[in-house]
Formats: sequence, C-alpha cells, structure tokens
Amino acid sequence: MASLKDIRARIETTKNTQQITKAMKLVSAAKLRKAQHQIVNMRPYAHSLLKVIANIAVTERVPHPLLVSRPEPKKILLMVLTSDRGLCGGFNGNIIKFTEQYLKQNSDKYEKTDIIFIGRKAADYFAKRSVSVVDTITKLDKDISYDLASGVAEKAMQNYLDGHYDEIRMVYNEFKSAISQKVVCETLLPVDLTKQTLDLGDAGPIPGFSTDMIYEPDPERVIDQLLVKHFSVQVFRCMAESVAAEHGARMTAMENATNNARDVLNKLTLTYNKLRQEKITTELIEIVSGAESLK
Amino acid sequence: MFKLFFATPDKKVLADVELEEITLPAFRGELHILPGHAPLMTSLGAGVLKYKLKTGDSKRLVISWGYCQVSAEGVSVLAETAVAADEIDPKAVQDHLKESEERLMTETLTDEQLVKVMGDIDRLRAEAAFLSEKAQ
Repeated sequence: MASLKDIRARIETTKNTQQITKAMKLVSAAKLRKAQHQIVNMRPYAHSLLKVIANIAVTERVPHPLLVSRPEPKKILLMVLTSDRGLCGGFNGNIIKFTEQYLKQNSDKYEKTDIIFIGRKAADYFAKRSVSVVDTITKLDKDISYDLASGVAEKAMQNYLDGHYDEIRMVYNEFKSAISQKVVCETLLPVDLTKQTLDLGDAGPIPGFSTDMIYEPDPERVIDQLLVKHFSVQVFRCMAESVAAEHGARMTAMENATNNARDVLNKLTLTYNKLRQEKITTELIEIVSGAESLK
Repeated sequence: MFKLFFATPDKKVLADVELEEITLPAFRGELHILPGHAPLMTSLGAGVLKYKLKTGDSKRLVISWGYCQVSAEGVSVLAETAVAADEIDPKAVQDHLKESEERLMTETLTDEQLVKVMGDIDRLRAEAAFLSEKAQ
C-alpha cells in the first residue's frame, strides 16, 4: 500500500500533466482556426484556376503532357505527408500504416515506387526500412507557405516531365472536420480534368467561355503556365489540409488526455482520503485504548 | 462597368467589385481594360495593377505572376502575390533587391535558382518602382 506522501506526489504530477495537455489543446485550437482559414482562403483561387484550365483544354483542344495519362503506369512517385511532431493521436500512425500497406500491395505491380517524405514522422519510421527515398522535407511545424509547396511541386513536376515517373500521388490526412481526418491517396499528376471539373462549385464570374478568346501569348503557353501553378496549388492545398488535420487530431488527443487525467485525479483523491481517514481512525482508537488502560 | 474577381493563393479575395476600368501588367506590356472589352486571356508579369471603382476611387496593388481573363461578365485576375503600398517595407525591398542582384552577379546558379531569383528581382523592382512613383 502506498503511503499518503506517495499519493500526494502522484496527485501533484497528474495535475501538472493535466495542465500541460489543457494548454496544448488550447494552442492547437487556435492553430486549427488559422489553418482552416488558410484552406478557405485558397479555395477560390484553386477553383477558378482549374476551371480555366478545363475550359482552355476543352475549347482550344490543346494537348499537354500533364493532361495525358500514360497507359499502364510503371513508375510512381509517392509523396507522404505527415507532421513533424507527435502527440496527435493516430494522425501519423494512420499515414504510416497506409503507406506500408500500399507499398506491400503494389510492390509487384509497379517497377519503381519512389517516396518523398514531407514531415519528420514518416521519414523517421521508414528510415530503418528499405524504401527508396528521394527527398525528405521537414520543419513543417512553422507556417507552411506557398513558396515551400511550389518548390516541392516544381521539382516533382520536372521529374514527371522528364519521364522519371508516370504518376505522382500524394498520401495525406484530409481535413474532414475538427474531430475527424481521413487518410487519402490522391493522384496529382497527370491532371484528371474529367473528374475534377464536376465538383468545382462557385468560383466567381468565369462562365460563358468564349470560343473566340484572344490569347496572349498563345493557348499552349498559357495552359502550360496555368498547369504548373495548378500543380503547385494542389500540393499547397494538401499541405494546408494536412496541417489543419494535424491540429484537429492533436486537439482531440489532448482533450482525451485531459479527461483521462481528470479521471485519474478523482481516483487518486478518493484513495488519498480513504487512507487519511483510516489513519485518523487508527490514531483515535490508539488514544482511546491508551486512556482505557490507565483507568 | 464590369465586375472584378481577384484572388491570390493565400488571401485577399475581391469578388463582385464593380469597376470602371483596370490596368494590368500584361504579357505584352501594360493593358488597359474598359467595359465591353473583347474576350481575352493573358498571362501577367510583375508590375502594378490599377483599378478604378464605380465610386471613382482608384486603388493600386503590386502583383507578381498571374493571369487575367476578360469575358462578357467581367474580369477575373489570379495573381501569385498582391500587396498594397502600405504593406511594403521600403527598406526590406531595397535590401532584398540588392541581395538578389548580387547573387545573380556573383554566384553560379542552376536553372531553377535562376528562374526564382529573376522572378524575385522582377517583383522587387516592381515594388520599388511603385514606391518611388507613390512618393513623387
């Protein structure tokens, strides 16, 4: 049986832990709001960009290497997006599990699967395992920026255009809501216009695409530039989603931790009081029986 | 009168703003658009974007790479960055510009770096020019 002093010490430490988890939850909540804001802000840009690309591609019939899917893709570039820090529940674990399974299932289907790790957690995990890593990007915990995303995107796209890869895919946590995330594997290149144009939503006044549009410089070059931007924006969007999901996951995890700490505290306090009363009772009995024997 | 839709990847979205006219740094030089312009699609370089609101107020922004689409409904502009005069720090612009120009002259850059540095310089020069124009 633990002594009163031991229990008191345990109560103290649990209280401290609870305070930390509570603070972390609040911080995550604030960061989540910011990250959510970022996603919302980017949407109109991304939507109108895609809409214009689709319109040019359809009306002008411009063929572009980024739009044509290659039959029987053999070489895959996988971008795996995790966080740099832990303490966010199953956020990173789910990604790692998914990636591992994906690699196992598709190892004989494709002749080459290269991986770019964005975020430290997955990179650390796979460092000891035999996967072909081309690049690792960390230090995502500060603000993700469009610059960072476009840097990654441009490099990946160059490799794609040079024929090093047939498909570029991104594995990341999609931000569903503050409490739920979903692991998704999305094909970013080649750009699939047929699927994406359907769910474009409202993105400002660009309907009524004219067929006698004047292009400066020419449709080919315009669409080329737009596609480059589109890919960067997609990479940025995935990063923003992942960051928002990370903060959401951490918020939930810390909320649970705070609740658990409260339960533990309740139990400990109960034991502590029981023990204290027991001690008092014993002391009383000793005094009474001592007085009794003197009579 | 026509409508302007304006977006950048991180912020500053103008939607359904009614304009009298707009001037853009287009691919072939400055492009001035008035109501009733023919449908046009052009890429934009770094430079100053000016627009005049229906109320008569005019606004100016420095933008870097983007594109502009003119249709019967209005003008939509997407730009990589957009800053107003009061958001530019003149000293930071000058320092950054000097640094980039020095890099260009002294270092051997790969193609990618070169594109980036050139882009930076274009944007910074546009910002600097914008500021000096404002000061006069």
